[in-house]
Amino acid sequence: MKKIDVQNQPVLPPGRVFQIALTGVKYRLFRATVTVAVIVVAMAFLMNILTESLIKRSVAESVREQIEDMHRVDRWIARLSMARPPEEVLAQLAAEDPDPEDLRELAALGGLDAEALDALRPRAAEALRYLRFFADLNYGRRRVLVGPDESVRIFDRLQGEREWEQFSASLADMLTVRFPVSLDEFQAFLAEWPGLRETVETVRRGQSAAIAGIRESLGETPLVVALRDADGAFGDTLRAAGFALSPEAAAALAAEVGRLDYVLRVEASINNPGVRQEVAALRDVLPGDVTMQMIWTLLRNRERAEWFLEIMRENHLDPGTLTARELEDLAAHRAHARLLAAAERQTVDAGGGLMGIGMRMTWLAIVSMLVCAVGIANAMLMSVTERFREIATLKCLGALDGFIMAIFLIEAGLLGLVGGFGGALAGFLLAGGRMAVAFRALLFQAFPWGDVAIAGVISIAVGMVLAAVSAVYPSLRAARLAPMEAMRIE
Amino acid sequence: MNAVAEPSSPAAPEAASERVIIRTVGMKKIYRRGDEITHALRGVDVEIYTGEFITVMGPSGSGKSTFFNMIGALDSPSQGRVFIDEVDVAQLTAEELAFLRCRKIGYIFQSYNLIQYMTALENVTTPMAFGGLNPDESRKRGMELLELVGLKDRWFHRPIEMSGGQQQRVAIARSLANAPSILLCDEPTANLDHKTGDEILAILQRLNKERGVTTICATHDHRMMNICDRLMWIRDGGIERIARRDEVEVELGHIE
Repeated sequence: MKKIDVQNQPVLPPGRVFQIALTGVKYRLFRATVTVAVIVVAMAFLMNILTESLIKRSVAESVREQIEDMHRVDRWIARLSMARPPEEVLAQLAAEDPDPEDLRELAALGGLDAEALDALRPRAAEALRYLRFFADLNYGRRRVLVGPDESVRIFDRLQGEREWEQFSASLADMLTVRFPVSLDEFQAFLAEWPGLRETVETVRRGQSAAIAGIRESLGETPLVVALRDADGAFGDTLRAAGFALSPEAAAALAAEVGRLDYVLRVEASINNPGVRQEVAALRDVLPGDVTMQMIWTLLRNRERAEWFLEIMRENHLDPGTLTARELEDLAAHRAHARLLAAAERQTVDAGGGLMGIGMRMTWLAIVSMLVCAVGIANAMLMSVTERFREIATLKCLGALDGFIMAIFLIEAGLLGLVGGFGGALAGFLLAGGRMAVAFRALLFQAFPWGDVAIAGVISIAVGMVLAAVSAVYPSLRAARLAPMEAMRIE
Repeated sequence: MNAVAEPSSPAAPEAASERVIIRTVGMKKIYRRGDEITHALRGVDVEIYTGEFITVMGPSGSGKSTFFNMIGALDSPSQGRVFIDEVDVAQLTAEELAFLRCRKIGYIFQSYNLIQYMTALENVTTPMAFGGLNPDESRKRGMELLELVGLKDRWFHRPIEMSGGQQQRVAIARSLANAPSILLCDEPTANLDHKTGDEILAILQRLNKERGVTTICATHDHRMMNICDRLMWIRDGGIERIARRDEVEVELGHIE
């Protein structure tokens, strides 16, 4: 007599499972377009914000120095106009990684030795921290705590006993305001403050004296004109007065001022009716509509630059020693500077959050992922439900629960892969296009290929995982059913 | 290998009573849908013998399909027990049930239930894959089975490219994939025309005679009476009558 000896059903090797799952996916892929589309949209969103932020960060890093250079002249004019405010001196002192030149300058201007200055640095850092605390308070609270005083005057004020009482009492009443250190520590700092304050004032007095000396030596000459000689005699004057100015910085400064001078000359020409007329005729606009931007764009062409110099002379304007080549370079430099300025505006939100995309964007990305997960889960649930008969049949043929789950997970994973890939590509193209418009040439010098590739891999992986996770519940439910129960549900 | 070694003697099932392959004891099934309770089976005791061809007849809603699912280990009874070769189905684990469904029982459904995205050959070889047979061997045996049902030339066709009769023949080939001991057919000819139905019946009869496969058919089709060993009538969830074909034939002859 033939026995039916029941055993355990063998588990299929993964390769076989994958093969069977793939047969189904091939047949169904175009029917799953909605699911894939949901994944594509979500992943495109993720990839888009990741890529944009990465590009912004990378561009911001690459242009930071150039932007600093761009403001070089303004900085020196400010520096030579008046002593720096106390909190700026403190910040310079407290800088975590200070420029030795800066410290030497502080010491020279204040008539202090470098070691004494160095000893003050931790105290300055402390002062900055308190200043930040007070600056972050809203006006009403600050008014209650320290009266109308601002900045370092707060420390001066709190020297008074009554003021200190008022401060500590009010602070105790403000339950939501937390002072960064214990009040004892703050009091200890306040006791030291007059000394620090004295140093800061000494430095500032030194700065004022140096500035006054330089002003006097200049007489009627404007600062900008004097700075043109920054790599010559005027540079020496500055160094003699105690300002830190390296030869390279001086050369760059002089060049920048020279350029500025030419720029002013060229830009003055727009007020000349003759020049206006000529440009308007060339560009076929009304003379009143001629803008400086229009002229600078014209000048990026050598022949046009020559032509422009000619009409300047014809209209009795003095282009100085400016040649067509220099003018062309100047126009190119202007265009670059405009680009840099645009980049500076664009990149203010770079940094922080996930991969440096900012907290707000991280949060947006998470929410979009949640929406996507719900969408995919819904699509998977429908896909599983409409296939109950197939699942029941497979179970009748001896499929294990694990097999049923595996084919659904593989299918979801593959959909996620396809969707993730499409989304990553779409997001990349979108972000790349937008950033190319915003940064133009700057984008290509600083394109973060490596980071963008990582972002792409992240998007694809997130798409796959999201799809697979969304499919776990429906497939688990389907796999657990007895074959005939599954067939009845239909 | 699962074919019975000695020639089966369907004409005398009572003589082979020790060779019971399926036995049910007080099998009941109750379906609940909200407050509505349906007694699909009200306690069925039946014994089915190795190698016999038994036809289960009964009107729609009599519990025929439910009976079929219970003895095929596709569903669990609300009460009572089902023994397949003296093994209580209720005590089997999910893995053991899968093994039983895969190797020991072949199913043929009224609506064929082929996997739509697979070719005829893939449909036939899927149970072999579940059984752990390697792909080359599966293909070879799959082609043999398709030849048996006369569909060797159409192995690469998908179900939608085939007629109902052809699909049912693929389903028969699939049910035989792992040389089962029991073949369960739920209305195998219901969706087919007369001629195709005849062909299917011929195949089932041949399998029963040549391979000694125990065959249980739930059907409305009276042609089935001509090829079976025993007949079983189900009505209102209970067995109305079980009889050998020769007894019934006498009666029918009497009536006609």
